[in-house]
Amino acid sequence: MTESDEKKGKILVLGVGNPILSDDGVGIHVARILKEKLIPGIEIDELPASGLELLDIVHGYERVIIVDSIKTDGGKPGELYELQEEDFQKTIHGSSPHGINIPTALAMGRKIIPEQMPKEILFFAIEAKDTLNVSEKLTPEVAAALPGIVEQILRKLT
Amino acid sequence: MAGPIINDIPVKTNEKKITIDPITRLEGHGKIVIFLDDAGNVENAYLQVPELRGFERFCIGRHVMELPVLTNRLCGVCPAAHHIASTKTLDAVFSATPTETAKKLRELFYMGQYMHSHIAHFYALAAPDFVLGPSSPWEKRNILGVVDAVGVPIGAEVIKHRSYGQKVQEIVGGRATHPVFGLPGGVSKQISEEERAQMETMAKSCIEFGKFTIKLFHDVVLGNKDYLGLVTNQDAYYLETYYMGMVDKDNKSNFYDGDIRVVDQGGKELIKFKPSQYLDVIAEHVEPWTYMKMPYLKQVGWKGFVAGASSGMFRVGPLGRINVCNGYTTPLAQKEYQVFKDTFKSLGVSGPVHHTLAYHWARVIELQHAAERMLELASDRGITSDDIRGPYNPPKEGIGICEAPRGTLIHHYASDKDGLCTKINMIVASTNNYAASNTSVKQAAKAMIKNGMISPGLLNKVEMAFRCYDPCHSCGTHSLNGGPALEVTIRRKDGSVLTKQRNF
Repeated sequence: MTESDEKKGKILVLGVGNPILSDDGVGIHVARILKEKLIPGIEIDELPASGLELLDIVHGYERVIIVDSIKTDGGKPGELYELQEEDFQKTIHGSSPHGINIPTALAMGRKIIPEQMPKEILFFAIEAKDTLNVSEKLTPEVAAALPGIVEQILRKLT
Repeated sequence: MAGPIINDIPVKTNEKKITIDPITRLEGHGKIVIFLDDAGNVENAYLQVPELRGFERFCIGRHVMELPVLTNRLCGVCPAAHHIASTKTLDAVFSATPTETAKKLRELFYMGQYMHSHIAHFYALAAPDFVLGPSSPWEKRNILGVVDAVGVPIGAEVIKHRSYGQKVQEIVGGRATHPVFGLPGGVSKQISEEERAQMETMAKSCIEFGKFTIKLFHDVVLGNKDYLGLVTNQDAYYLETYYMGMVDKDNKSNFYDGDIRVVDQGGKELIKFKPSQYLDVIAEHVEPWTYMKMPYLKQVGWKGFVAGASSGMFRVGPLGRINVCNGYTTPLAQKEYQVFKDTFKSLGVSGPVHHTLAYHWARVIELQHAAERMLELASDRGITSDDIRGPYNPPKEGIGICEAPRGTLIHHYASDKDGLCTKINMIVASTNNYAASNTSVKQAAKAMIKNGMISPGLLNKVEMAFRCYDPCHSCGTHSLNGGPALEVTIRRKDGSVLTKQRNF
């Protein structure tokens, strides 16, 4: 069985972030909690990077849910936003520590390997407070919001 | 395909301070602040970068064996470089000599990192300037615009070969992005014959892709007199500095192991040192306006942001490496090295190439070398041996150096008798280049902005002066939005904001 066959028709929840950079890693924290719940038919993975690495992981799946941190002007730490690919049109050229950001990587995939890309990609973005201090812990505000965030994502999955 | 747009029309500004924040296509966020005098000419320019805080505190007290995994978490761009530097540091900490098989596997893994990293830089970060032009519309000046210009099949080749680089790292290193295989005196994972054969096939394909990339560089950049004009523009993109990089015993460029060679502005060797001697060679200068330190050559001294023999500023990375070596051990890279040298010789350059934009050319030569070296190593059936771990001794202090794709990367740890980390110091590639990249920004800003006339294309040409260094200053943040692409804030002399322009 090829890698594509293994992924066909499946749903992937992908936690993205840096797990030693405080709230930057909140997506990874969420993924680890979801993994323990052993939800049938749902695969859970972690990606401590973004950019084109994302394509290596998401291609072949039917549906993908990406959980990541976000920083918005005036956002409340721990707040959860549900976003679609088209919500990122304005930042599609944006910078990231990986040369290109997640929306640009997905747009590359849609352009170059459209037949292998998931039919739907949803984003759960969690407002981060601290993404500069090296720590394995989330800030108290984001940590407090974590159970509610996991519940909301679970409702989407079941 | 339409020709690149190299120039646009500047408009007059009466402002005294221009901020480019965050910088587009810099790997890690930063901003440029340009100060204009009353006549609208550049008085000064600064490249400011944020820095992650608390990493040293985070590592102290942990077991040193954790550091190859923790240090590579610092960075989502070159984690493999941190993993290799850290593993080599553990060799020193535990007085361990890796087995021949382990050395080959580490280097093979590392060639995968070079493929991945140099492809990403050249096609995603540099190509928008060269294929589309520095003054092309901002909404097109990105990798998607490059694919539109060159066609989907070429874009697919880019994705495929970058992915091959990742795959080689995954096979050898256990994980593609944050590897886990490095141990003092060796590696943790033996590879199978099937895996070796798979990597050999991928390496062959990477060599062809390297040839294609060199040809593309020749066609698009060297074949365009306007670009050659930019590359050879000594007012904007030229610094006579010292250079630093790793070489083998024959002074051929080596990314994984060897001595560190420093040459002067004329190409004469200033010093060649072992990793353990780095503190005798490098000191660090601190400026009040940035978190990041600025390394310089101790024996020359810090003279500020100036080039020349009396200034200890040095450059690392592809241009540093190509200037300290006398070539490459692989035939195709060596052939292109000769073309590089001959081309600049025809322009009157006999020693090191000081043209900042030549970083890009050196990088594509290194891409070719990495592919060739990958094939050499993957073709060696001996790499499937189970002799992957050598003996080791009680821990102490140790230093390890490798060449990250962005330049010389230094790790230095001290351990107590139980293996717990008591001291950690790292000088990363972009820090080594910080003084020079800052000086390049100022030089380009002075050359591009005259009498208060600015335009998006001119500001992008200022960015090009440091983008070629492939800087990665603030390793590790991954937030989904990643920040806006380009924001220019124009301030009055008292610092208050008059207008703000955004290109998104």
